[in-house]
Amino acid sequence: MAILTSPLFFKIAVFPGLTSLAIIAALVTWLDRKVTARVQLRIGPSYVSPVGGILQSFADLIKLAFKELIIPAKADKFFFVAAPVIGMILAGGLVGLIPFSPETQIANLEVGLPVFLAFLTLSPTMVLLAGWSANSKYPFIGGLRSLFQQTAYEIPLWLSAIGVVMMAGTFDLLKIVEAQSTGWFIIPQALGALIFLITITAEMERIPFDLPEAEPEVIMGWQAEYTGFLFLAAQGAGFIKLYVFSALFATIYLGGFLGPAPVPGLVWTLLKTTVIIVLIILLRGSFGRVRIDQLLRAGWTLLLGLAIANIAITYIIIQGIPSI
Amino acid sequence: MVAQGIAEIFYYLGFVTVSTVGVVILLFLIISPRDPKPTPEKRAAFESGQIAVGRGRTRFIIQYYPYLLMFVVYDVVAMFLFAWALNIRSLGFNGTLPVAVFLVVLMVPLAYALHLSKRPENW
Repeated sequence: MAILTSPLFFKIAVFPGLTSLAIIAALVTWLDRKVTARVQLRIGPSYVSPVGGILQSFADLIKLAFKELIIPAKADKFFFVAAPVIGMILAGGLVGLIPFSPETQIANLEVGLPVFLAFLTLSPTMVLLAGWSANSKYPFIGGLRSLFQQTAYEIPLWLSAIGVVMMAGTFDLLKIVEAQSTGWFIIPQALGALIFLITITAEMERIPFDLPEAEPEVIMGWQAEYTGFLFLAAQGAGFIKLYVFSALFATIYLGGFLGPAPVPGLVWTLLKTTVIIVLIILLRGSFGRVRIDQLLRAGWTLLLGLAIANIAITYIIIQGIPSI
Repeated sequence: MVAQGIAEIFYYLGFVTVSTVGVVILLFLIISPRDPKPTPEKRAAFESGQIAVGRGRTRFIIQYYPYLLMFVVYDVVAMFLFAWALNIRSLGFNGTLPVAVFLVVLMVPLAYALHLSKRPENW
């Protein structure tokens, strides 16, 4: 029984681990619906609640769990079921690397930032696998779109993260936060932060970059054939990613748990994360969907060029103008 | 000697995997309802209410293939830069010059490929 009372087990099972992750994902879903509704001058969820329909996503969760699971006759059954489940595990695994405060970090890896980015590289593969295994036209198109989209955003994403590594001189996410005690990285890394925000939005497949699951174009794309809890897994992974990526943005650019003393560090991290989540949700209310050729073109020219410019700017900030 | 945090992240991933798969199996076997005799229509591929025709994995456009080819090359380049970025303070200008040359050498073909990718007849 000693293991059940250890701090590590508490972190893994309760916070920031699994239980809190499920609850936060449901709350982020609610926040997404509510903020989008407010932007569009609607009210949004309001019935299932003590306040403001906050329990709506829990109700949806229960509803979807009791739905029948329909697997298309021609689908590759194992991968059809496995792809969204693995996608959800990958998204949930990311939270283990985030230092919410020095004490509440599950795994303090020396190579935290590259491991985080490497994990996130795997999730478009799961989207492609889901689209392929469904053996149906809309999921197939959605999966291929996801593949093309990945080529557009991934290199700028890695290159913008390099700016942070240059400033901090470490891959360790906890040490990256500590390096920001003299000033948040968003000020010297303003360009990098902007590119990072755009590319993580593309990675999360949220509007304006939700091409793989565009409802009016490809009818939820790779999710078209999913029903019941598999649809829940496919959608839930997106909202877990919204939370985890916002937490990563807060960690590497907004000083993570650093903040004025009376408020504990954990509250600061969650506060900054919430701000980024709302910002990304507001993007959904503000912009239309881009076309795939626009995204590819922008990713390979503008974003890549700016990311390399950001590396050059960061170099000059650190070393001064090189004298030959 | 195991590096710090490796054990924890594997415990966590294992816990997440076991819990998620456990919940999925629970839902699949117990909670989710079954249809003992599903009709062919129910299990057909979704095509907006039309009767599904042809293969699910249809032919697809190759129009953006050049980007995939470039991605295979330049994704690896981004990896190399991480090693340089980590040690930038100790490397100084002499350590940075080869990286800058390396980038310039790689960006010239990239610019040419992007120039060509605007003209689909070349691919």
